[in-house]
Amino acid sequence: MTSPIHHCKECVDLLGEYIEGVLPPERAKALEDHLSTCPPCITFVRTYRATRKLCRNALATEMPKELMSSLSTFLGKFVPGFPCTKSETAAPSPVGPADSGPKKV
Amino acid sequence: MADLNQTQRELAPEEPRPDGQPGDRELVERAQQGDGPAFAMLVERHQRQLYRLALRMTGSEADAQEVLQEAFLNAYQKLPLFRGEAQFSSWLYRIAANSALMRLRRKRRAPDTLAEQPLELAGPRFSAEGYLEPASSSDWSQRADEKMMSGELGDAINKAVAELPDDYRTVFLLKDVDGLSNEDIANALALTVPAVKSRLHRARLALREKLGEFFDGAK
Repeated sequence: MTSPIHHCKECVDLLGEYIEGVLPPERAKALEDHLSTCPPCITFVRTYRATRKLCRNALATEMPKELMSSLSTFLGKFVPGFPCTKSETAAPSPVGPADSGPKKV
Repeated sequence: MADLNQTQRELAPEEPRPDGQPGDRELVERAQQGDGPAFAMLVERHQRQLYRLALRMTGSEADAQEVLQEAFLNAYQKLPLFRGEAQFSSWLYRIAANSALMRLRRKRRAPDTLAEQPLELAGPRFSAEGYLEPASSSDWSQRADEKMMSGELGDAINKAVAELPDDYRTVFLLKDVDGLSNEDIANALALTVPAVKSRLHRARLALREKLGEFFDGAK
């Protein structure tokens, strides 16, 4: 028997885990019972979800193809057998030069 | 959501994959024996996620590029030491995160970890009894879709995210935008999983407040 949720603050505190589906079932049930009687919290859940969706759509980013290409070229200098996008010569050591660092490309 | 699921599939390919490609474990073993193409497959598989991590931590595409170079080269050099106790992806994220932190520290004397920064975050307002104040319960979610294409909304989101403290912003972006698991974020940023969850929730609450202000102002 889990304790009921009477106040919005407790509901809000549990929202993160609730919308990810990782809240223990009995707490999720208590939260849903609270939502069924609390319109402000229903609105809060909607806007909390919308926040994630809007930010994901606005901020999603992909790795530029040019960067993939330059990374391959860079690693091809140090990793024998690494397929490069440009003709580069791999270092003979199986672990590459110990003191070599990344270079601007 | 499909994107997040796809990302999660990319994150844990230790075992042989449904598409017939070898799992990370096999590729690591081959790379440890000097198989360059096997290492190239590991790079191809993880570079996008590592790029997002580096970009989110440094905030700069140029820095992210250098972090990626350094991280993959470092991983290659340390590969003989990798014993497989952790997932290869987690090990790789940790190397990249360390590289990004070192870079930040060099550039602006960043703190030793992302957890040391002061906190000033907006959030919902409650009455003394714990009930939501009316100002915290305006429903703009229905208007979110029609505003999706608005450049003003994009600007507002970028501004609100940029105003988050570094550690909260990084956790939020890695989780809600890039789809990393709480465990991978905790491992990469040297935080506990509860600390990741706490930062994530507080960042979402702060962003929700900012978006509420935007939609209230756009009525």
